[in-house]
Amino acid sequence: MKEALFKIGARLTMLLVLTLIAGLLSATFVRFSPGYGVDERELDPRLSRASVEAVRSSRRIESGLLAYYGNYLLRALHGDFGKSQWLDRPVGSLICERLPVTSRSVLGGLLTAWLAALVVSFAAMFFRGFLFDFSTTAGSGLLIALPTGVVAMLAVYMRAPAFLASSVVIFPRLFRYLRNLLEHAYTQPHILAARTRGISNARIVFRHVAPLVSPALFALFGVSLSMAFGAAIPIEALSDSPGVGQLAWQAALNRDLPLIVNLTLLVTLFTVTVNSAAGVAPEIAQ
Amino acid sequence: MKTRALGRAISTAILVVVFCFGLLAGGITNYSYATQFRELPNAAPSSAHILGTDGLGRDLFARLAYGTRVSLLLAPAAAFLSTLIGGILGSFAGLVGGWCERAILAAGDLSMALPLLFVLLALRALLPLDISPALSVVATFALLGLLGWHSSLRVVWAASRNLRNSDFLQLARATGCTRWKIIRYHILPNLRPVLMAQFWISIPAFVLTEATLSMLGLGVMEPLPSWGNLLRGLEDFSAVGSNQWSLSPLILLVLVVICFQLALPAQEEFA
Repeated sequence: MKEALFKIGARLTMLLVLTLIAGLLSATFVRFSPGYGVDERELDPRLSRASVEAVRSSRRIESGLLAYYGNYLLRALHGDFGKSQWLDRPVGSLICERLPVTSRSVLGGLLTAWLAALVVSFAAMFFRGFLFDFSTTAGSGLLIALPTGVVAMLAVYMRAPAFLASSVVIFPRLFRYLRNLLEHAYTQPHILAARTRGISNARIVFRHVAPLVSPALFALFGVSLSMAFGAAIPIEALSDSPGVGQLAWQAALNRDLPLIVNLTLLVTLFTVTVNSAAGVAPEIAQ
Repeated sequence: MKTRALGRAISTAILVVVFCFGLLAGGITNYSYATQFRELPNAAPSSAHILGTDGLGRDLFARLAYGTRVSLLLAPAAAFLSTLIGGILGSFAGLVGGWCERAILAAGDLSMALPLLFVLLALRALLPLDISPALSVVATFALLGLLGWHSSLRVVWAASRNLRNSDFLQLARATGCTRWKIIRYHILPNLRPVLMAQFWISIPAFVLTEATLSMLGLGVMEPLPSWGNLLRGLEDFSAVGSNQWSLSPLILLVLVVICFQLALPAQEEFA
């Protein structure tokens, strides 16, 4: 119990340190981005020199990096992540608008990929044979060899939903790892003994295999979430799906640093939090 | 076992042919990758243009050959960089131990949890808009190399940790071997298979990531071709319908990645 609490505490501390470092990095990128501190109003010929100076001095308040970082963190704590240079809208509201689309495609993709990978991996354990092994290995090998962008384009041609494209990207990686994990588990002496005693497959899976592989599965879930978020960019960009991935792509193309950096920071914090939770979940479960 | 060896031999032969195709691009094709035949946009394959031309009238075969050179020469460079960083950090963590080991492993875990494409986009967006095509190639693959080190870290760390308390290393220390000699003659030869495996495994991963980045317009800049750049041509489905040979970059990329998978199972299992 004490050890589990220590691990949870260590993970939380690491998360806090990471948040501060990532915040500093994000603030540094935004602060030193081209065009930072320049207001379009400075170019307005109708403004007097005094007005232009007033606009400049209002921007000068945040000119030092540390002062900027302090203000950035304070604003971020209140949910204010600055303004998009390209869309001239608050980053927070842009993310809130688009997050549901990405959440649906990421969760749908993860669910489909995990279900398919679990079913095919267990089938590979129960129906061993050259044909099954060859077809699943060849199929997953072919899917791994396809760039995510091509999968997204195929999904557009076939008018398939974005989550399906996401699951096609995640499935082969999950399947290969799961199959290796199960193959390893099924060679363990206590599982071999259970099989020779004629214990049913379902009982072996739930009573013996599941406890053995669950820590690795939790960790794999965290990694698959990062994969799904990564896949969301090309899938949403190429299938014109208005999610966070498409927003990140458009922000990168338009060199909108406040938007892309804050977006990356938030997605990173989310995936790292889920990964940390996945890391301590087995200890909590025990 | 024989089938596997045969598959490995065929895959290696295909990889060698494709590498030679990229390396000898200048000798194989008469056209430059940027030469435009403005009267022949989206032309069908002919004796003058074996794979036809793209929407801007550029010879697809020439672009495929030069694109192969870019993708297949720079992906190994990025793989070398990432393996080098992962190797240095992993062996340092494994051999030194203590808080240093914990910090490096935590950084590796963190890096693994990052959504790579988001970070790549953010860093790529930091580069100026008017970056030259040659610089865009270097920047793209350098970023891939700098961000892809975490995959090598754990494997090298595990191998180094096993070495840390090995008898031969303790004997070397006891006989007064200098630190450099220990690294040069005892540690590096033992880590070499692991590092080589990581290097070869990273190449197809970087080829695929570059393809996705370039398809999004954030990788190698036009007019310089790469497999990812060439795949952007697939966005125009009508052009693909009229000239199926425009699928050749995709077929070549898939073939190369599959060949890498088939050619390297032994090293992968070892790693």
